[in-house]
Amino acid sequence: MESKGSDDLDLLERIRRGDTGGAGELFERYAPALLRFTDRMLSDRASAEEVTQEVFVKVISRAHQYDGRAGVASWLFAIAANACRDRRRRDRWAMVVPLEAVAEPRARGEGIESTIASRQRRQAVRQALSELSDEQREALVLARYHGMPYAEIAETLGISVGAVKTRIFRAVETLKAHFSEGESWTAAT
Amino acid sequence: MDCRDVKTIALDRLAGEADEASRRELSAHLAGCENCRREMGRLEDLWTVLGTDPDATVTPEFRERSLELIEEEFLRRRVREFRPRTRSVRPFLQAAAMLAAGAVGYLIARGLPSGSSSTSSPTPVAGSAPRAIATPSAGVARASNTGSAVLDLASSPRFSNVSYRPADPDGRVGIEFDVTTRQTVVGRPEEPEVARLLAYLLSRNAETAGEKSRAIALVSEHYGTGSATASPEIVAALSATLRKDPNPGVRKKAADALASFAITPEIRTVFLAALVSDKNPAVRLVAVDALAAAAKQSPDAATIASLREKAVDPQENGFVRAKAASALKAISF
Repeated sequence: MESKGSDDLDLLERIRRGDTGGAGELFERYAPALLRFTDRMLSDRASAEEVTQEVFVKVISRAHQYDGRAGVASWLFAIAANACRDRRRRDRWAMVVPLEAVAEPRARGEGIESTIASRQRRQAVRQALSELSDEQREALVLARYHGMPYAEIAETLGISVGAVKTRIFRAVETLKAHFSEGESWTAAT
Repeated sequence: MDCRDVKTIALDRLAGEADEASRRELSAHLAGCENCRREMGRLEDLWTVLGTDPDATVTPEFRERSLELIEEEFLRRRVREFRPRTRSVRPFLQAAAMLAAGAVGYLIARGLPSGSSSTSSPTPVAGSAPRAIATPSAGVARASNTGSAVLDLASSPRFSNVSYRPADPDGRVGIEFDVTTRQTVVGRPEEPEVARLLAYLLSRNAETAGEKSRAIALVSEHYGTGSATASPEIVAALSATLRKDPNPGVRKKAADALASFAITPEIRTVFLAALVSDKNPAVRLVAVDALAAAAKQSPDAATIASLREKAVDPQENGFVRAKAASALKAISF
């Protein structure tokens, strides 16, 4: 993940002083990545947008609490991860998987790449990701889609590097099982 | 390397975390182990498939909504921070005055000849008269009409029958409203407490165009000099009104009020946006005037480019076009 350390600190300082422009710049800088993260965590575009906005509102109210122990990016992703967990807890009983997201079984023994048609890949991947626990998904999404080093993921999630590796390992095992069992995999063929 | 280590190191490699030695060791192991090669292939396939999931992107609508939300949050926080300075000091001063009065009374009583205290009348002590002390009520605390309002705006109280008194010779305006009883706040609009109350009334409390217009008019009249520096709360509230209010008349009044302040980068940005996108030509005319006046003092590229664009835009209203052209002539580059 690209580091913009001192610039980010300047922006936080401006936000502390009540400068709307500082928050606007922070939004321009981090909203794309945070939206990608929340979208994959929640599998729902509307919720992802709401949670991303919530992150920036929280940044405005908590800018004075930032203690510099973690990088600003890690801090933002930590707020986003917590907000996603809260949202999922809140929506747990109201969660509906769209019909089109439910994939069909595939023929066994075929290679992964060749059996997934591009139009249905997204649905298959999202369906698979939704079967991971929040903890596993957070770690995997940050590593796979954000290219975050293990140490930064650990900082973001407040866990050890070893725990990060374990979560990613288990996530990958779950996904492999999900795909190779053929339950939802070739929706994509 | 053991076959049991392969998955972990393979994942490290895919995540870009494996060091050179681990990668070499993994390659050497895979070269001689068919099972691990297959496992590595499956992991790579999985990693690739995950990568086919397209990224969500920030749409212009989402961006615009979010930036508006951020701005509103700042405004809300400014209003929420409304805490008159005298709030905690005044009760202490009152208590101190009463104690002092009591002490003086006691000393006087002791100094008088025996028996005379029962016949003499009490000596009045300056400053000892009891004063109304603010008592909190739901959402809003009572305010005396001496300007020492103790208002808690965090709970978004609803003020009704708001009226304004123009500035007195000291520049103090009056704001009256009903909560549970009639309240009056008196002070100069540049004082933070009064500024926050005005910003609150304008951005949160006013529901009709008339209410907004009256609040704006009070500010305009006060800052009518064209060189005053307004409080950030008032500038933010007026800027939001100019950007978003659906009523063109209210936007025009907000533009007039902003134009009466010493121009800041924030005000300049709001006027540049209004010049481009406000549907009311009268608002755009105010924007041209304000921007031109500011550019005369310190020409800036964005202002000059916007005025040039307007001066030659065939779709633009004739008055705005002419105004932009003459404004440009008056600016020395």
